[in-house]
Amino acid sequence: MKNFTYFRPTSPEQAVGLLEARWGNTELLAGGTDLLDLQKEYIAQPSRIVSLAGVAQLNNVSIGDRAITLGAGMTIAAVAAHASVRQHAAALAQAAAEVGAPQIRNMGTLGGNLCQRNRCWYFRDEHTNCLLKGGPRCNALDGENKYHAVFTAGHRCVIVHPSTLAPALIALGASADVQAPNGRRTVELAKFFRAPTGPAEREHTLAANELVLSVTIPIAGTRSASYEVRHKQAYDWPLVQAAVAFQGGQNGAKATGVRIVLGHVAPTPYIAEAAQRALDNRAITEASATAAGRAAAEGAKPLSQNGYKLRLIEVAVKRALLLASGAKPYWEV
Amino acid sequence: MPWPQTRRIIGTKVQRLDGPDKATGRAKYSFDINRPGMLHARMLRCPHAHARVKSIDVSQAEKAPGVRAVHTIVKPDAELYWAGAEIAAVAADTEEHAEDALRAIRVDYQELPHLVKESEALTAKRRTVSGNAMTNVEAAGDFATANFDQQAYQGAAATVEGTYGVPIISHQCLESHGLVAEWNQDATELTVWASTQAVPNTANQLAQYFKLPATRVKCITHYMGGGFGSKFGPDIQGTVAAELARKARAPVKLMLDRAEEVTCGGQRPSAFGTVKVAGDNQGRLQAFEVDCYGSPGIGGAATVNFNLLPYVYSAPNVKRKHSRLRMNVQTARAMRAPGHPQNCLLTEQALDDLAARLNVNPLDMRLRNLPANDPNAVDNAPTSFLALRNTIYTREIDIIKKMCNWEQRWHAPGKGGGVVKTGLGVALHTWGGGGRGPNPTKVTISADGSVLAQSSSQDLGTAQRTVTAIIVAEVLGLQPRDITVQLGDSVHGPSTPSGGSTTCPGTSPAILKAAEAARSAFLAEIAPRLNAQAGDLTIEPGVIVNRTNNQRTPWRQACARLGMNPVQATGDWPPPGQLNAMTPAGAALRREWQQTLTNQGVGGIQVAEVKVDTETGVVRCTHVWAVQDCGMIINKQGCESQVAGGVIMGVNYALFEECIYDRATGRMVNPDMEFYKLGGIQDMPQIHVHMMDMPERGVIGIGEPPTISTAAAIANAIHNALGVRVPQAPYTPEHVLAALANRR
Repeated sequence: MKNFTYFRPTSPEQAVGLLEARWGNTELLAGGTDLLDLQKEYIAQPSRIVSLAGVAQLNNVSIGDRAITLGAGMTIAAVAAHASVRQHAAALAQAAAEVGAPQIRNMGTLGGNLCQRNRCWYFRDEHTNCLLKGGPRCNALDGENKYHAVFTAGHRCVIVHPSTLAPALIALGASADVQAPNGRRTVELAKFFRAPTGPAEREHTLAANELVLSVTIPIAGTRSASYEVRHKQAYDWPLVQAAVAFQGGQNGAKATGVRIVLGHVAPTPYIAEAAQRALDNRAITEASATAAGRAAAEGAKPLSQNGYKLRLIEVAVKRALLLASGAKPYWEV
Repeated sequence: MPWPQTRRIIGTKVQRLDGPDKATGRAKYSFDINRPGMLHARMLRCPHAHARVKSIDVSQAEKAPGVRAVHTIVKPDAELYWAGAEIAAVAADTEEHAEDALRAIRVDYQELPHLVKESEALTAKRRTVSGNAMTNVEAAGDFATANFDQQAYQGAAATVEGTYGVPIISHQCLESHGLVAEWNQDATELTVWASTQAVPNTANQLAQYFKLPATRVKCITHYMGGGFGSKFGPDIQGTVAAELARKARAPVKLMLDRAEEVTCGGQRPSAFGTVKVAGDNQGRLQAFEVDCYGSPGIGGAATVNFNLLPYVYSAPNVKRKHSRLRMNVQTARAMRAPGHPQNCLLTEQALDDLAARLNVNPLDMRLRNLPANDPNAVDNAPTSFLALRNTIYTREIDIIKKMCNWEQRWHAPGKGGGVVKTGLGVALHTWGGGGRGPNPTKVTISADGSVLAQSSSQDLGTAQRTVTAIIVAEVLGLQPRDITVQLGDSVHGPSTPSGGSTTCPGTSPAILKAAEAARSAFLAEIAPRLNAQAGDLTIEPGVIVNRTNNQRTPWRQACARLGMNPVQATGDWPPPGQLNAMTPAGAALRREWQQTLTNQGVGGIQVAEVKVDTETGVVRCTHVWAVQDCGMIINKQGCESQVAGGVIMGVNYALFEECIYDRATGRMVNPDMEFYKLGGIQDMPQIHVHMMDMPERGVIGIGEPPTISTAAAIANAIHNALGVRVPQAPYTPEHVLAALANRR
């Protein structure tokens, strides 16, 4: 493990001032559930670690009439348990409650969850020089890819984005406040992520010297849900996740402003626009939810081993919609 | 020397004496041992699945910060056959420095072609492993009963053929392989704290390696966190750690990290087979034909023992063809009932597919194909498994039928309703579990009333401290918690490795003999001081009774009469040397040993209930009922825990585990606990255990058998739920959805 210098600033400005503008030499340390692994595995080898433990501002939470603002330093467990989150942003609370294991939820943070690195087994293997580490091509394209992306068109690297909070937050229309070296800016989470293509890029659009301060979720009478298809019930990543949000939609009323966002199917959280269109201004029924599920899988180009995910997309979207509409989960026995 | 006729503690439920120590961390495992001045060692491993070492340069590593010793394992020109083969090792002041130093070692490799997928190794026209064969495929022996081709299928009511498979899995010991090694000042004596299931063996192998007298090497294993058959000696990390410790003149700790544990700590071979079975309209098997292969990795010898096919059941016409498929992955090691779960899967799934075709209830199908009690054994060894197997299985099927309410729960395959379909499946298993010696045990009674029992045997999961304490307490009229047990130290003499479910049957008669010898010596010692004849004294719970005058002396008061000299006695059984004597006395000893005190051969049955989400393909195992034949039970709680543990392992085998190797790099992609999936508590079924004890058979080990049939029972339960066979384990959403799509 490369030796590093540890910094413990107390303000976001100080923190950002300690970061370099290029990726590689400096890293932010929040809960540490991802970074420390990467360092021990020689995947990340920063010479400077900037701890956020002393930046008290990152733990602020404010609940207004029109929005909830959650500090990026809030633990995932705290997000899952927060009463206002559960009331106004059910999809986020559900997704947070399903992250990893209690140990991860108690250490991992909201900001860390959004900025974590991907879990691709080629990326995480020190001895495999994959595209993201400067290698010639993505090993998963014709390798072991059952957990990889199915929306692959235009992507040279076929990781899936690991965050399960992100699809929920995008569906809820959330945005992030970011500290940059020259001030603060706001980014819609729908525009926060990108598909990396090499060592100089991350899975998000922030610069190397920027820091997520908080996430703001509008309160708009939104019904929402997140549904994960998981191989294991304990401590596992979803095979496919669907997060949905809409206004109205209960008791046969029409749903409007429908947002359907998929997780673990593409290098970024995937906004299923065809499915949104298929459902907008329609009542949520078994039939309409099924149709939306089918539409959500449109355009997928699965790899050699993950065609099964298309079926899971259909089911996850259908079930998330039915859950959000208040229907009884028919799949629970 | 029989077991006591009336048993006060033996056979009852006794909580593990060291449970609180293990739960609180007071129990120190090898991983927890930290010696003064101790260094940390790491090993450099070949990153390629097949390569020749052109050159090795360790000079930069020797100069790296904190490094105290470097040991080179292979020489230039060595051909290495798997990603993980050991190259060199470094000892440094911290683990991080050792890791850094490994990366300063320069190795030049010539990469060579590899094969890590069974499907490719089967058809490849080249050899990528050691030896002289043309390819990686080695015939492993064909077999056919007489006139198979002429008669096997004639007049059968139905014939079905299916292909079933199960991948390579890893032992995944929670405590990884490894040890701490420490030499004395002049490097003439070595002590290791090793995670091993063979304490004296480990010491002896190190003594041989370093050409030391056996008395100069000590192995200590007070606690160990799982071996499952993969930890029978010092291993290469053992000799390497001791080499480094000698070179650095400091104690060295070398424990494998998680990735090493999974890629290098042992594997259970894969098995794939096409099975064709035919039967009459009652479901009686007429023919069993199998063409199968499996991979022990680079290993040549260890593979699945396909000679067991058909597993458990008898068929008049049998034909087997099988191949060993060597590949560039780590070699197989024994893993909890080696070979049996694979054979069970291949047999039980075929049997159920035939039952479905014939509309025969799976339990009836099993009853009709049980092997008969062996008449010769009935006459000569009436408590043996051969003499009783039909009786045992028949009784077990009857018990489990009631336990799981089979008549109500079971439905014809695919006939359940709903999106989430419920299914019930059954499978049978068998295992040996006989005892061996020597396992000398020493019992010491002191004047303060304390009792110490010592042996070098280890606790692999038997709850061996508790087993020891129960037997000693039974004989001395005490409670298990009154007995201090010291295990896992080679200074206590020889003991047998914990393999083959032999620890409890191997040690318990020795413990009994030691306790009885200690009782006799104790009574002889105190008799004069109690004004009694030794022969008049007897022990009742907590008191010494003089039968002539009914004088009752509490245990502690009696012990106090010992004064300065504790009573010590050593017992072993069978008596070394006498057991194998070709004399009437030898034969009588063998009978007592093998048919009364202990025995071998068990049968078991398990039924699994699953719920399969037909939209997602997610399988949840909701119940497992297990009936286990077990001879005489020493600790009922320990026995039931063993069965539950076996079931948990079997659920993982069925639903989650798989070593996944990358075709292009030859590297394992999931050497972790993230994508190498092991179920958590939410993934586990309710486990209902029934121990079918038969005390007249003596003590039989049951560490392995309860893991054998779980996966096959789950496979059959999934088939029962869906009405379609999911041929390939693990039964993941992708495999289940593929099987459902094929039906459509």
